[in-house]
Amino acid sequence: MDSQLEAEAFKRIYPEEYFQRFLSEGTRPDGRPLGRARSTTIGFGAVSTADGSALVKIGSTTLLAGIKLEVMTPTAEAPDAGKIAATFEMPPLCSPDARPERRLEETSVVVQQVMNAIESAGLVNTKELLISTGKAAWVAYLDIYCLDADGSLLDAALLAAVAAFADLTLPPVRVNPEGHVLPVLSGAQGGNLRENGDASSEVVTVERRKLTLGAMPWAATIGLYKGHLIVDPTAEEEALLESTVTTILDEAGRLISLFKPGGITAVTTALIQDCVELTRHRARELKQILEESSQEDEDEGDESQ
Amino acid sequence: MEYVSPEGLRLDGRRPKEVRQLKCELAVLHRADGSAYLEMGNTKVLATVYGPHEVSQRSQSLHDRALVHCEYSMATFSTGERRRRPKGDRRSVELSLVIRQSMEAAILTHLLPRTQIDIYVQVLQADGGTRAACINAATLALADAGVPMRDLVASCAAGYLNGTPLLDLNYVEDSAGGPDLTVALLPKAEKVTLLQMDSKLPLDTFEAVLGLAMDGCKAIAAHMRQALLEHTRKQAVVRGPVRL
Repeated sequence: MDSQLEAEAFKRIYPEEYFQRFLSEGTRPDGRPLGRARSTTIGFGAVSTADGSALVKIGSTTLLAGIKLEVMTPTAEAPDAGKIAATFEMPPLCSPDARPERRLEETSVVVQQVMNAIESAGLVNTKELLISTGKAAWVAYLDIYCLDADGSLLDAALLAAVAAFADLTLPPVRVNPEGHVLPVLSGAQGGNLRENGDASSEVVTVERRKLTLGAMPWAATIGLYKGHLIVDPTAEEEALLESTVTTILDEAGRLISLFKPGGITAVTTALIQDCVELTRHRARELKQILEESSQEDEDEGDESQ
Repeated sequence: MEYVSPEGLRLDGRRPKEVRQLKCELAVLHRADGSAYLEMGNTKVLATVYGPHEVSQRSQSLHDRALVHCEYSMATFSTGERRRRPKGDRRSVELSLVIRQSMEAAILTHLLPRTQIDIYVQVLQADGGTRAACINAATLALADAGVPMRDLVASCAAGYLNGTPLLDLNYVEDSAGGPDLTVALLPKAEKVTLLQMDSKLPLDTFEAVLGLAMDGCKAIAAHMRQALLEHTRKQAVVRGPVRL
């Protein structure tokens, strides 16, 4: 008990030395080796009021992403495409330090990076969000909530976004000749014929469907500290790190984005290549986790039916 | 519309005096001093407590008791229509106040002078009765944080539709236009800390509905206490015997 108390006090008073002692042993305060990410879980369909949702946990970093669909009139430039609008929220419950102004910058960076990654990977073909050319299309509002901010938020946010899109189902709708979109009531699936019968023959019914997703982007944040590369840092570690490099790769291992927000160390090309290599390893891991969780989700769905 | 069938069943298959399935989990977030996740049927809320800590704005510090600060917000995807303003609107401000006041009635604030306790409640999915669910989640989070309290605050709503008093309304029943009575109770003392209703109801019916809501509170309180005990027991095992 006493030694534990002493360690705790040492950590408080000399956080750097505390961290360094672990690093010199080739390990980290939470017992991980430097190159290992925390255990990751994905829960699909966590929120039933959303059209698609996912709860992602990387260690204790917890994010909840939800997608809500709304109908819009497509723009004149792109009459055959819908669009995606994203926000990233860090409500005060996610972390004990209350500094809203710093949070604002951080959230903007995360949401911009996530959107860029989704666009450049080509995860969602916005043409799939079309309901009726020039008349109606879906806007997918992606809102990511951070429930527990314990480091590597960008990685978790991107994973949550991808998982929410994988869970997204476009509801069945009818489009009348004026271009108004009417919902098909869930109870009336068998009664589709009847509904088509009493309305005019020009009514177009769009079936309930899932999106066909393109290449998925995968992110890994790597912390730099005195020549060490630290994969998936926690908030505690992030506070001590000299700099971080976030690499986003697509499924084929191609580089989508490289993000190094300043910091005290300048990195060499060799170091960046190391980061990319570590990310490649993590990407394979994440892909497997996503596949396994979606498989489990489907199995559960079958059972409940 | 018929909210209670001739067989005496409600739209979701419950009996009139039945609460929805209650599920609570404590200490779900590691970085918070206290947290709780609570499901009442399809209503899902997350409450987090930070503190007691130093008052962040010194001018607000109270010399004889703790300052309780509460913030309520709803996720944009928690309701049927996407919410444009998840917090800061009039309803959220009112709910923050309601939650804060009912918690202040239970917290022994005089034991913690010149400190601040932050309660953050986030609605993840809403299906009626968010007010009651938030209060219940906040109590559990406070208990998890080890904040001294007189008692757990238990809350439950009740309404009156088709000539029948109904316990724990869901969204469909809530939007039926009948009265919606939310009660928060200190179950041991059987004292009401919150009573809200904005509708007309004859006095004798009101008493029946109030009685039902209070019974609901007691049932919920028993369930929450059970969850709290179980959680504490688990923690006691994890931490091992305490040596002084």
